[in-house]
Amino acid sequence: MNNKLEGFVRDNKKQFEVKGPSDALWGKIAAELDKKQPKQKTFGLYQWMSIAAMLILTVGVYFGYQYKKSATEILVADINPGLGKKEVRFTNLIEEKRDSLQVLANADPELYKQFIADMGKLDKDYQELKQQLQTSPNKALVGKAMMKNLEIQLQMISQQLYIINQVNQYKKEEKTI
Amino acid sequence: METVYIDKHTDLVTECRNGSRKAQFEIYKLYATAMYNVALRIVNDDAEAEDVLQEAFLDAFNRIADFRQETTFGLWLKQIVINRSINYLRKRKMETVSVDEVDVADEQETDFEETHLKVEAIKSAMAELPDGYRVVLSLYLFEGYDHEEIAHILKITENTSRTQYMRAKRKLNSLLATKGVVR
Repeated sequence: MNNKLEGFVRDNKKQFEVKGPSDALWGKIAAELDKKQPKQKTFGLYQWMSIAAMLILTVGVYFGYQYKKSATEILVADINPGLGKKEVRFTNLIEEKRDSLQVLANADPELYKQFIADMGKLDKDYQELKQQLQTSPNKALVGKAMMKNLEIQLQMISQQLYIINQVNQYKKEEKTI
Repeated sequence: METVYIDKHTDLVTECRNGSRKAQFEIYKLYATAMYNVALRIVNDDAEAEDVLQEAFLDAFNRIADFRQETTFGLWLKQIVINRSINYLRKRKMETVSVDEVDVADEQETDFEETHLKVEAIKSAMAELPDGYRVVLSLYLFEGYDHEEIAHILKITENTSRTQYMRAKRKLNSLLATKGVVR
């Protein structure tokens, strides 16, 4: 009996499979295939489009923000062109002197540290004034204060240069004696 | 003759790969009936078998690039059909039957005169089997998988597959006997 069943099924398998699916099934499958194919293509295109849109958006927002920032940031030159020129001249001078101070101060790092700390305080004030300039109702006053600050920085650095020169001179003389 | 047949299939598969609707229909016509019966024997429901078939063909056509020709297309498709059918069953919570539930009739020698009658009797008896029995029986008896493969497909042990099959066959035979198909 046991092997009879297996043998029977093996021999008559075709007879077990007379009935097939309904005729409408292929239509359903074909419709799904039709649906899927263009969908996949447009989905790919859609994806690319969305990536491109995202890129454009990010770049746009970034530059828009930058533009807005540069447009809204008020410079001293906006208030008074004369002051603006002054600011450029001062900062350049300060930068130059700072460099020479650094070279000269190699011999005396302790002193240089002190100088830099003092300059740092003044520079901090300057940055604060710059911030105030954005919101302050009296921009001319703040602008003038900024110039004053730069002037003091310049004077201070000049003095520091002078001092350090003297110190160096003194050290040299000491050596030669 | 045999080789011509196989060549024709590989050509059809290649055309399917290129998205030819005509080739897809040819493939469908070749396999639909056999695959429908594979699904029907497992899910035991006409409408569900058609759903399985639709999903399986769609899946096969959409994933045809994955078909590496390590096996024949028919076997590959059959695997998809069986996996989908079993998923359908799992959704219905496939129960593996414990021994107590089974009323085993004494094995009787039945002698069928007409093959057709016996075929119908086996089909209806299989439809009455619990899902767990029917799946193992159908995979072993009809799809020609061995117990190792069935164990892999159903994620059960080989031994479970063996005992399930033995019990299923006994149950089937007893159902056939009570039907008294011999006439």
